[in-house]
Amino acid sequence: MYAEHFSEPATSHVASAPIEHQFYPYASNGGTILAIAGADYALLAGDTRHITGYSINTRFRPSIHTLENLGGPERAIVVAANGFSADGDALVRRLAQRAEWYTYNHNKPLSVSACARLVQTMLYGKRTFPYYVHTIVAGLDESGRGEVYSFDPVGSYEREQCRAGGSAASLLMPFLDNQVNKKNQYDAATGLPQVATDLPLEETLKLVKDAFSSVTERHIHVGDYLEIKIVTKEGVKVEYFPLKRD
Amino acid sequence: MGGFSFDNYQRNKFLTAKGYPVPTATATGTTIVGCRFDGGVVIAADTRATEGEIVADKNCEKLHRMSPNIWCAGAGTAADCEMVTQLISSNLELHAMSTGRAPRVVTCLTMLKQHLFKYQGHVGAYLIVAGCDPTGPKLFSIHAHGSTDVGYYLSLGSGSMAAMATLESKWKSSMTKQEAMDLCAEAIEAGIWNDLGSGSNVDMCVMEVNKPAVLHRNYRTPNERSIKQKSYVFPRGTTAYLNEKVKPMIKPVAYDIFEETVTSTGGEQMEIDG
Amino acid sequence: MFLTRSEYDRGVSTFSPEGRLFQVEYAIEAIKLGSTAIGVATAEGVILGVEKRATSVLLESSSIEKIVEIDRHIGAAMSGLTADARTMIDHARVESQNHRLTFDESMKVESVTQSVCDLALRFGEGADGEESVMSRPFGVALLIAGVDENGPQLYHADPSGTFYRYDAKAIGSGSEGAQAELQNEYHSSLTLAEAEQLVLKTLKQVMEEKLDAKNVQLSSVTPEQGFRIYSDDEMKAVVERLEGSEVPLV
Repeated sequence: MYAEHFSEPATSHVASAPIEHQFYPYASNGGTILAIAGADYALLAGDTRHITGYSINTRFRPSIHTLENLGGPERAIVVAANGFSADGDALVRRLAQRAEWYTYNHNKPLSVSACARLVQTMLYGKRTFPYYVHTIVAGLDESGRGEVYSFDPVGSYEREQCRAGGSAASLLMPFLDNQVNKKNQYDAATGLPQVATDLPLEETLKLVKDAFSSVTERHIHVGDYLEIKIVTKEGVKVEYFPLKRD
Repeated sequence: MGGFSFDNYQRNKFLTAKGYPVPTATATGTTIVGCRFDGGVVIAADTRATEGEIVADKNCEKLHRMSPNIWCAGAGTAADCEMVTQLISSNLELHAMSTGRAPRVVTCLTMLKQHLFKYQGHVGAYLIVAGCDPTGPKLFSIHAHGSTDVGYYLSLGSGSMAAMATLESKWKSSMTKQEAMDLCAEAIEAGIWNDLGSGSNVDMCVMEVNKPAVLHRNYRTPNERSIKQKSYVFPRGTTAYLNEKVKPMIKPVAYDIFEETVTSTGGEQMEIDG
Repeated sequence: MFLTRSEYDRGVSTFSPEGRLFQVEYAIEAIKLGSTAIGVATAEGVILGVEKRATSVLLESSSIEKIVEIDRHIGAAMSGLTADARTMIDHARVESQNHRLTFDESMKVESVTQSVCDLALRFGEGADGEESVMSRPFGVALLIAGVDENGPQLYHADPSGTFYRYDAKAIGSGSEGAQAELQNEYHSSLTLAEAEQLVLKTLKQVMEEKLDAKNVQLSSVTPEQGFRIYSDDEMKAVVERLEGSEVPLV
């Protein structure tokens, strides 16, 4: 009695609209990024795997960019735009140029907050044909404190203590909420919620490495190498950490 | 009564039109291979099971026993591979009992392909069937629509191209058992490293003529998890709770003492084990 | 002055054989016909002062607007063809707001001045024979006063598109005398109140009319209050103070 229904593909009943072929200009290239701000540092980390579909395009394509020559080494800004890497590259290159113009026009380094606002105007400028990226900008403010700004594809932004973006953001973010901002943790003695304090750089680096090695275990896009860029008053330091390659 | 129930067909069609998508079965990205050697056949698989981009199981089993001398590696929809494999395994057992002979690989192959063809590809099982029977070592593959292939070396799944690249470049005729095992392991590893749908370990099953099949669970484990840099043990009391209630698991039973007997051990020391 | 005048003073962007752009030079001359405007920069802030020349007794002096706000931290005083200043001020205001919008920070005083000067050169023919927006140079000069991360600053922008930073600067008809006076009186430890008096005193010396609270206008730019135009009451108070400090003439 069911044979009649079953003899046709199940989808043929649903697909009543004519088949359309259209140009789809976006792709997803995987990868995951993570930024944390500390008292005297800001850090931006990301895996170096670049993918399309189930294939690895390359195991080592660093995605954390540094905007330099904006003043002293402490004025460096690190940027990553994760998602569709062609758009990410375009955005970062244009941002670097705008930052350079800014120094020529105004004869002063571009602050991280000004850079963040600039990124917003650039992203919103393509409101109707967005850059398909999740952007994070990090650096030090005038007083030397770490700051992190994160953006949605069309420019909505916010300053935050920490933020994960990209493929495995949904796996990383709850871990960060718990370990960095002490969410859902109470003091055993007083019963009061634990308060977030600035983590020392050494602890944060351990946390970031553990976060990425764990996310590598459970997300197929993440792996190969972890690139960490740390902004301190001495300038930008880069660290690489091996991740699993499967 | 076997087969599928289509009771919800009309309802689901309606729901889909309303914008509620049909739940998708876990189509596992996989690498499976098989290779014949002099006097036997070997099959191998990776152990990653995925749900989309998420790794659902880091060490799952993709090698299924059809009969003591016939094994099957499965790719495609996990549930379909498991169910079709179990069903045909049962039927194979019944067949063996009624004929009084050990089942042949071609019999297993025929039963699987007839079942899959009947379901027109809706049972999403992609299998590599291998085994030894009185006609010798055999190696086949079956696609979900029911087509079958014969080969000296085969690969299937999302990592099949990576695996086949290895097989094509390193396979040679009349290999030893160890050579075939090494080749299969290397082919699976090619999938593990280069296909995002495949990962973790290599499982292997070796079937030799007139010998019991040997399953090498986790034949290779090239992806052991590194030690974490920090400890994430929470001190007791970290998690808040609204209220506390303790319930005894065993309810105390009221009883009366009718009689009490005290027996003497005769003054001897009770024996205690050393 | 115009001994070498020839047909080269027709085209606004044609150099004379001596290498001069007459139209630009005439534009600078136009400013010397304008009312006097003075700016004095101190460590506490900048004072701008202008003379409001009443051409008729029937003229409502409060309608003469020669000091304007560019942004909350920048103001400008003008001298010359004040109608031309509208274009420049509008441009400066737009640039300053645009900078706020794009960078979430106030624009530097120098950057605003630069952008105004960029505009000042957009006269004559366009590069590709395209229609140019302006047919002639601006006939007005600006004193741009502001406060930014580099402290209080005063800039002078003229029709040639050049600008310089000054401690104290006078433009307009009385500028020669006023500039000499400023040169004598200015010192780097001037307070804002002393600067008010210096501006008024200098204006008084070069003005044809007798200075009162109605025919001059002061404004200040300070880190605390930003740009501010003095109210009538404040004007009255500072003018009274000026007269009080003076030795009466016998």
